[in-house]
Amino acid sequence: MNIAWKEIKKSKAKFIILGSIIFLVSFLTFIISGLANGLSQDNAALIKDLPDGQFYMNDDANETYNLSKIDESTQDKVLNDQKDAAAFSIQMGFVNDAEDKQHSVAFVTSTDSRLFEKVGEGEIVLDRSLEEDGIKVGDTITNNQFSGEFTVKGFVDQKKYSHAPVAYINMENYKEIYGVDEMQLVFVAGQEKGPDIAGLQSFSSKEFFNTIPSYSAEQMSLNMIVWFLVVISGMLFAIFFYMMNVQKIGLYGILKALGVKTSRLFGMMWSQMLFITVIALTLSVALSQGFTMIAPEGMPFSLTLQTTVQLSIIFVIIGFVGATLSGIQIKKVEPLQAIQQGEV
Amino acid sequence: MTIFTIDEVKKTFINGEVKEQVLKGINLSLHQGEITALVGASGSGKSTILTIAAGLQRATDGQVLFNKKNMTDMSQEQIRKIRASEFGFVFQSSHLVPFLTVEEQLMLMLDVSGTKMKKKEQKVEVAKILKLIDMDHRRDAYPASLSGGEKQRVAIARAIIHKPKMLFADEPTASLDSKRSKDVMTLIRELTKTLSITTLMVTHDEEMLSYADHVITMKDGLIL
Ligand SMILES: Nc1ncnc2c1ncn2[C@@H]1O[C@H](COP(=O)(O)OP(=O)(O)OP(=O)(O)O)[C@@H](O)[C@H]1O
Ligand SMILES: [Mg+2]
Repeated sequence: MNIAWKEIKKSKAKFIILGSIIFLVSFLTFIISGLANGLSQDNAALIKDLPDGQFYMNDDANETYNLSKIDESTQDKVLNDQKDAAAFSIQMGFVNDAEDKQHSVAFVTSTDSRLFEKVGEGEIVLDRSLEEDGIKVGDTITNNQFSGEFTVKGFVDQKKYSHAPVAYINMENYKEIYGVDEMQLVFVAGQEKGPDIAGLQSFSSKEFFNTIPSYSAEQMSLNMIVWFLVVISGMLFAIFFYMMNVQKIGLYGILKALGVKTSRLFGMMWSQMLFITVIALTLSVALSQGFTMIAPEGMPFSLTLQTTVQLSIIFVIIGFVGATLSGIQIKKVEPLQAIQQGEV
Repeated sequence: MTIFTIDEVKKTFINGEVKEQVLKGINLSLHQGEITALVGASGSGKSTILTIAAGLQRATDGQVLFNKKNMTDMSQEQIRKIRASEFGFVFQSSHLVPFLTVEEQLMLMLDVSGTKMKKKEQKVEVAKILKLIDMDHRRDAYPASLSGGEKQRVAIARAIIHKPKMLFADEPTASLDSKRSKDVMTLIRELTKTLSITTLMVTHDEEMLSYADHVITMKDGLIL
């Protein structure tokens, strides 16, 4: 006889309430972590989307890419020696569209490379988000530091830097706008540990992120938000399952008094726990994935199925721990004591 | 034949700083197939000695022997096995499992006691005993919808359906009217004799004493 199932059937309301709490808390966790991920994506998709590799600034840059100027001869040598390398620069700036409306962008320029958009002089490639602002292919775009005009050549998906859409421009145009001759950064793809290059300081992707002050600070808060959510909701789950069983201690006492095996009681607690969490989490995963699809275009939101499944597994494990802890307590107590505790 | 012996059993409850000796050395022997009634004032320790005998809590001191085996030395698991297959217990308040129907309560007990019956055989067995306690019309009812007396009758059925060697009953007729009480006692008496079940029973009801083979009176944790 399956007593676990019999109880669920008889006390539907109780189990539905418990299930909805787990559903709501896990859904909240998924959505918030999707938003946090989205924000972090929004801040650095340009860099995050690069393959694994090594970043270089010059030694005097004080670990600040804005101050870095890579000597042209060094740059030529690296680009010659390494097969998958590019020199590039990023600067925040503005463009004016055909109706003279100003848009904030992150100008990006690079040497010829598969890793960055290739744009000719007088051309500009923009992040897709600007298309939604009404800019079309073939439009004329201006910048007050730039003598000529840009023609919009196309759009790219999901290229953001510092929450601004990226604008790829030709290196010559970039040099004119910012009055510099050198590039800020060199990126060498492929190696775990990049080659040492005289006069340059190397950074892994992670180290490089930490040199971007706005990024590392923001990332820290976002990570904290997600971790606090996971830890607190996890504890909530454990406490819920613990409470559910402790509150039923009188019932377990009766079953023990009849001579029901402790292993059967554990089986009852575990299967009820699994039943509720699996249904609630499946719903929650499905709904949060659905939300990924209907989330408004401009809203930074990024939640992979993998993340939700990983979080779900953590929740199941924690629920299991909560149920087991209460089980141990019930295993230890004498039947009569359990019944008496249940009566107060 | 002596089947059950309680030997110098003491029980002390400790509540914080307060120690209360509830049983001060109880000696009892029960003979197979006989009914022994325990009487005494409220608080004299009747339920306490009954639950210790039934292995639902442990004595602080002394020995409990069932079939010459010392239950005091046994592990929780060993005692559980005895409880499941050889003991039946009727609580002072019936303590049915709230989410099982009358029939399921009794089937669970057959399950737990290790009688290897198929579901169909279990149902037949349950139907028999429900008839005996005049509850066959409430087979599919849940405890919450039963009257106090009906609950108590189901609890008695649950305590004997697996044909235990020992029956412990804590005021089994307390919530029954006098006719039902007599019916239940006749039932217990019959079972005790036909199945040779040994019964230890607490009661307040003077009328019930006529069904007992022995009457033992307790006072302040001692047998008079
Ligand atoms: N778990 C416990 N903790 C502390 N004291 C207890 C506990 N169980 C019983 N007692 C005390 O032991 C004494 C005897 O209790 P017991 O239940 O055995 O009495 P009883 O003879 O069955 O009484 P009644 O006729 O009212 O059922 C009482 O004073 C009671 O307060
Ligand atoms: Mg009592």
